[in-house]
Amino acid sequence: MMQIFKSIPENMEANLYLPSMGTITQTHNLTKKEKWFEIQMPETHSFSYNPGQFVEVSLFGVGEAPISITSAMKNPGLFEMTIRDVGVLTEKIHALNSGDLIGIRGPFGNGFDLKKFKGKDVLIVAGGIGLVPIRSLIHTILNDRKSYGRLIILYGTKSSQDLLYKSELDQWETHPGIEFQMTVDQPSPDWHGIVGVITTLIPSVTLDLENTVAAIVGPPVMYKFVLLSLLTKGLSDENIYLSLERRMKCGVGKCGHCQINHSLVCQDGPVYHYPELKKLQEALK
Amino acid sequence: MKQIFPLTFMTHNDIPHWISHLQKIENVIAPHKNGINSFSFGKVSDPKCVILNYDRTLSSIKKYFLPPKETLFSFSTDGKETTSSKVEPINAIFLGVHNYDLEAVFRLDHNFLSGHAESQYLTRRQGALFIGVSYTPDEWHFSNSVLKDGEPNHSGGFDLFLHEIEDGYLLETLTESGQNLMKGFPLPEFDGDIPKQQSFNAHIDGGFEKVTDVFSRAWDSPVWESYAEKCVGCGTCNLVCPTCFCFNVEDEVDLDLKTGNRIRTQDGCMLRSFSEVAGGEIFRNQKAARMRHRLYRKFKYISQETGESWCVGCGRCSAYCTAGISIVDIVNDLIHDSNREIGA
Repeated sequence: MMQIFKSIPENMEANLYLPSMGTITQTHNLTKKEKWFEIQMPETHSFSYNPGQFVEVSLFGVGEAPISITSAMKNPGLFEMTIRDVGVLTEKIHALNSGDLIGIRGPFGNGFDLKKFKGKDVLIVAGGIGLVPIRSLIHTILNDRKSYGRLIILYGTKSSQDLLYKSELDQWETHPGIEFQMTVDQPSPDWHGIVGVITTLIPSVTLDLENTVAAIVGPPVMYKFVLLSLLTKGLSDENIYLSLERRMKCGVGKCGHCQINHSLVCQDGPVYHYPELKKLQEALK
Repeated sequence: MKQIFPLTFMTHNDIPHWISHLQKIENVIAPHKNGINSFSFGKVSDPKCVILNYDRTLSSIKKYFLPPKETLFSFSTDGKETTSSKVEPINAIFLGVHNYDLEAVFRLDHNFLSGHAESQYLTRRQGALFIGVSYTPDEWHFSNSVLKDGEPNHSGGFDLFLHEIEDGYLLETLTESGQNLMKGFPLPEFDGDIPKQQSFNAHIDGGFEKVTDVFSRAWDSPVWESYAEKCVGCGTCNLVCPTCFCFNVEDEVDLDLKTGNRIRTQDGCMLRSFSEVAGGEIFRNQKAARMRHRLYRKFKYISQETGESWCVGCGRCSAYCTAGISIVDIVNDLIHDSNREIGA
């Protein structure tokens, strides 16, 4: 075995696991379970990101978890995240408000490769909380609208109470640059929109198959069905990107938790080109 | 490899004196008897207690570079103060290391040096010198089935190496650092050859070449399920493996609730919760899927990039398995199963 150990490389980070402290500048409750946060990183900390990347969020004494960035990069050091309350850490984060400090490491992961989307029609398929990471791509496209073709957004949730960013959804419905459709699987009596799972929306969308790139984010169970629907429609593997959720514990390719076959999601993902993802048997179970 | 330093000879009686000599230079870490028939590496206080003739230690020397539990940094719970833990170089002489355990260290080096280099591991790893010793393979060792140089007397990578012979040891000097360790401890030169290697009892049929071949098509083999039925999912195999490095990160808060530590602890991919995400989804929920992942990590995923087996053939996971499963049996069954499939 080749010996690669010699001495400590000069450019090595002092401690990969030590967070920087961000300050919460705004918060907003989106639903009963989801809360939106805007975070300002200190000026001394260079922080810029791509849509689709994630950060490791810490509360000291509680723990750390990977959280998607939900905003488009505008001012360095400023970003947004939307957090679902699912456990001890996220419950404590929900209790924080403007002015509170929060530990941040990252950004980590690859994010969406915008070169592959520019000049193309973009089809976005978001299921449930999958809208959170993909909103970073939607906003990136809206901020540079001329560089892209059509922007088609399909969004599905379990119930109308689960809909995120409601005021934004209203804007998307009337935005001349967005073709937006949403569906709800278990409608309440006051719901007048489309009913059904996310794939309900796909057959009626007309696509320029040669010139459309799709980005899909949602719960694990959704991918198979959305893929089948899109492939049936005639979209090729080459034009499909997916973002996956795994347990990215360290974010730096060391701890092993996010591994899918030979791929570490925190390094090679969370965004995967579908032809690459097909080679990972464990990716879409 | 061509020898550049002369071979010397040491009697059994010389060994404690020699260890005392080494202790004057640096701390010495060596195998000790621990319980009835168990061995473990520990810092030497009495050179007479060092055992050089052992089958395997429960834990490898990995524990010195990647402690089972370590503090990554300390914090105040209000987030206003964080302090990285001070990590010191190991600066020790590792005496009595088997070839496969040093090979395992080189693999950990790869994991912690490639991509984002980790300062904790690399700082600790500084100043380690290695003195190897040959061994007699037992029913579990199978290093020559997986390593390019897996013989029990292979001395590559060591600074010094002890070859056991009838009335003592031949000392092979391999590096300048090794030569420096021998200054002030003159030994008679030995005019002869290094003794022939001991042969292995356990084998993977066809060696690593066959392993590489089989793991390219073993994904859907029924063999995984047949072993998963016996496996109790305890994670001992991960715990004792010298190349397993996966870890979990958690916070521990002091009793005053004002300060605490972020710690990492060794984790194992055979444990069900290993791939669990917030909300409860477990991506490898079946034992067979976890066992397959563990073996693919040893024989394929990193191996296809590096050309090296990430299993070093120490036999620990087999020797200590609570369900009596042998990794050699699993791999051989995969090989036979795939032979059947292709009608060979």
